[in-house]
This record gives sequence, C-alpha cells and structure tokens, in this order.
Amino acid sequence: MKTQQESLDPFYALADPSRRYILQLLSKDSLSINALAENFEMSRPAVSKHIKILNSAGFISIEDIGRERYCVLNQEGFAEVQEWINFFDAFWKKKLRKLEKLLNEKTKKK
Amino acid sequence: MQRDIRHQWFFNHSPETVWKYLTDPDLIAQWLMENDFKPVVGHKFQFITKPKVKVKFDGVVYCEVLEVKPYTKLSYSWKGGSKGQITLDSIVIWTLTARDGGTDLVLEHKGFKGMKNYLAYFFMNIGWKAKVMKRFSLLIGS
Repeated sequence: MKTQQESLDPFYALADPSRRYILQLLSKDSLSINALAENFEMSRPAVSKHIKILNSAGFISIEDIGRERYCVLNQEGFAEVQEWINFFDAFWKKKLRKLEKLLNEKTKKK
Repeated sequence: MQRDIRHQWFFNHSPETVWKYLTDPDLIAQWLMENDFKPVVGHKFQFITKPKVKVKFDGVVYCEVLEVKPYTKLSYSWKGGSKGQITLDSIVIWTLTARDGGTDLVLEHKGFKGMKNYLAYFFMNIGWKAKVMKRFSLLIGS
C-alpha cells in the first residue's frame, strides 16, 4: 500500500464540491464511511477516495469503531490556536499598558 | 473571526527611547518578562514567566530574532507549549514610527500555525461562497 503521509494542500482538498459536502455533513455529526456514502450518487470507493484526501489534508480523522470506520471532523487544532490568540491578545494589552506607565514614570523623575 | 493580534499605542517618547525598552534585556524585564534578548538577527533567547495551565503554557517562550532595524522594526519568532511540546508557533513584530514628537508603536502577533484547522472551522461556519474562499486563500497565502 502506498503511504499518503505527506499532508495535502488544504485548498486542493476544498476545491471539490463533494468533499466540501462531506465536511458539511461531518460538521453536524461523525459518520461512518458507509453512512456518508449514502448521501452520494457515486460509488463507495469514490467516496473513500475523497475521504482519504480530506484526511491527509488534516480536515478529518478516521477512527475504527467496531467494524465500521468513522470519519470525525478535526476541530481540536482550531480551538487550541484560538485559545492562544485570546490569551495573548489580553496579555499584550496588559503589557503595553505597563510599558506606557513605566515610560511615563521615567520622564516624571527627570 | 480573529486570525492575528494587532495593537497600536502612542507613546510620548522618541522612537529611540521606546526602542531601548524593546531591546535592552533589563528594561524589557521591567514591563514584559525575564529574558536573555540581544538585538542580533539569529540570536536565540527565552522569555520566562509564570506558567498558565489553562492554555497549556509552561511559562517559557522560545524565540529567535528575525529582524532588527534600529528604531524602526524588530521581530522575533514566538514559540511555546508545555513539557517540551510546542503548540504555539507564531511571530511577533514591533514597528516604530515617529509622530508628533512621540512614537506610534504597532505590535503584531501573527502567523499562528494550525491555520489548516482554521480553514475547516471557518468554512463550516460561513458556508461555501467562492468569493470568500478566494479572499481567504489570498490571506492564507500571504
């Protein structure tokens, strides 16, 4: 089997309407590959191919639950980055206020 | 939706004075964090502060000086995380502009890695309009 380890360009992955539809479906709930395939006219292997592309672009992960393979939307990375941004936004505001105070005190002394 | 951080402040001080507070390790420590900064491109340094468990931050920011233009521009990489695992990978840019006898200081904290997952979330929330996608691809590509 060929490995598909290298990550794909997310825009390539998003360029296809079927793949965007898959992401939309997964945004509501995790679904098995079979359940996903029911939403499409195309063959199951064709759906699998789209899933593979979404997986290597990092949008979804695939988990084996029982006999079924489930597709799950990846939002963890998003939440993590957003937390950092919120944290540092407040952090810098506080620090800049401190710098301003420090500079003003310095000129008063002179 | 927020992608990066930008703050602009006006200081009643010359760019030379503000620059000192951005580049002298002792002065930086007085308002920002303990550090071993040097205004030399390629210099690797750290900021040390209290850990913040909530965001999985062990209190050490790993940095490398990327650009030094005296009294005008300073930038460094800004990485951090917990237990040696880097979850924060970003860039801090300071820009100084003289104005009305003082200094406009702009801080940009950006380039947060993990944008791929942003894309998923972003499109999930706004739908699939080609126009928005084009605009966003330009943003991401920049």
